[in-house]
Amino acid sequence: MSFLLLFKDELNGFYKSKVMTFLWIGLPLMTVLLHLWSPNTGEEIPFTLLSTLLVSSIGGTLAAVMLTVSIVHEKTRHVYDLFLVRPLKRWHIVISKFFAVYTCIAIASILTLMLGVVIDYLLMGGAPEAILNDAIQSLAISLSMMAVSSSVGVLIGVISPSVLVGAILVIYGGNQISVIPMLPNMLNISNPVPFTLILGVLISCVLLLIAVFLFSKKQF
Amino acid sequence: MSDSKERNGFVVFEGVSKRYKSLLALNNVSFKIKEGEIFGYIGPNGAGKTTTIKIMVGLLRSTQGTLHIGGHQMPDEKNEVHKLLGYLPQNVAFQEWRTVDHALRTFGKLSGVKKNEIENRIEEVLELVALPNVRHQKIVELSSGMTQKLGLAQSLLHNPKLLVLDEPLAGLDPESRYQVKQIIKELGKSGTTVFFSSHILSDVQDVATKIGILNRGCIMQIGTLDELKSGFPIKNDVTVVLSHDSGQWREVESLKGVTGVEQPARNSLLVHLDSETDIDETIHNLIQSLMNLDCRIRSLTPASPTLDEVYLQYVRRGENA
Repeated sequence: MSFLLLFKDELNGFYKSKVMTFLWIGLPLMTVLLHLWSPNTGEEIPFTLLSTLLVSSIGGTLAAVMLTVSIVHEKTRHVYDLFLVRPLKRWHIVISKFFAVYTCIAIASILTLMLGVVIDYLLMGGAPEAILNDAIQSLAISLSMMAVSSSVGVLIGVISPSVLVGAILVIYGGNQISVIPMLPNMLNISNPVPFTLILGVLISCVLLLIAVFLFSKKQF
Repeated sequence: MSDSKERNGFVVFEGVSKRYKSLLALNNVSFKIKEGEIFGYIGPNGAGKTTTIKIMVGLLRSTQGTLHIGGHQMPDEKNEVHKLLGYLPQNVAFQEWRTVDHALRTFGKLSGVKKNEIENRIEEVLELVALPNVRHQKIVELSSGMTQKLGLAQSLLHNPKLLVLDEPLAGLDPESRYQVKQIIKELGKSGTTVFFSSHILSDVQDVATKIGILNRGCIMQIGTLDELKSGFPIKNDVTVVLSHDSGQWREVESLKGVTGVEQPARNSLLVHLDSETDIDETIHNLIQSLMNLDCRIRSLTPASPTLDEVYLQYVRRGENA
């Protein structure tokens, strides 16, 4: 009950503080701008490919930074005090935040990819099938990388003493750890996507468990 | 409430200590608060007031000792205690995007207020803290005093049995201070146990039915204001109010048992008596002498120490120990 309430509350917060607008409009808009301003190499880069590249390169970092900054900021301002003196489980606070950010960033990624497909369809009468397949695979990989990045964001948010330290740590560490789910793609496996997804879920769960443990032991 | 709980107190601290690395913030603190009592907790900056409060509400863990609230042990039965508890922190903070209505709705639901009751409760608590017209305003747009009152409102949403307020009157204008004091008094009358800390001693004196003085992490004294005053014989002074002052009152200084005379205000004398001599005889002689000096006496009362004086004496005693 409290978990669902906190999850809706976080989403409401992202809506009211315009975070959703910046993500859901900003990320697809960036793809368009990048496409318009990319240097002319004589070969047109399909929109679908460009949007996939953008989502996989900055989606995870955005999610991780959002989570770290939000948790450290609320922790240092003692916003959590009013939540922690109520009959709810401490892990609900952290995990509801994780899911709210992950939902927002996943929707933004899917919107960006869909925009790429639509534009390619309008310009070329459809994106090449190979690119479309690659894009769907890339999205699956991106989503699992984003889950890992978000978990790193939560963990660093819980342990970091200040917003600045948190942001530095998450940009250094978040990106490095989030590439681990990519490893099956570098091995000679015919279909690495399921392994990537499993690895992403496992690493995220471990990181979140550590974050929840530390948050529940934390004194405010 | 069971008899045993009544006998032991609603809030029971037993030998509670808290250490932050090398600093002993609370040292073997023990006290009991009965149900319906308004407990004023006073002490200088850094005495350990906020640490005590944070241990009470479960934000900090004590290093040693036990704490029971409403018969439940903290922190093991934290969830049970949190159902009974309303808390206003010293610097109450809300997320920037929240409106007053949204914050109260969320905290009300998290405290277990039923969906069909939440609307009425929000209206009631906003009315109670005199904030009826800000319901749809963003909290960041409120003044610090209004935010403090909103903090009080969120702590009252679920009609808590125990209200813990950390400096609830800090930053409020005189009218708001009066309102909040009235709210605390009314809650006490309705059976809510209130624990509040304050630097403003006159406010504690106005509201508290029991007072605890804390210094350097140690409880110096606990009791009603009268008990604190009587337990600490500060001085043997009498205040004499004159209806006619002949100007010759200085001569009473030569009386046996009188150690000095001051005139703190027009037509008012503060006479210091020697506690070693017979006070009754000295006062008798004092009255006669003043009348002989053509001073007319309107009243004569033993000077009672104020809470400020009692507080300072206890704090100094703690520092000299």
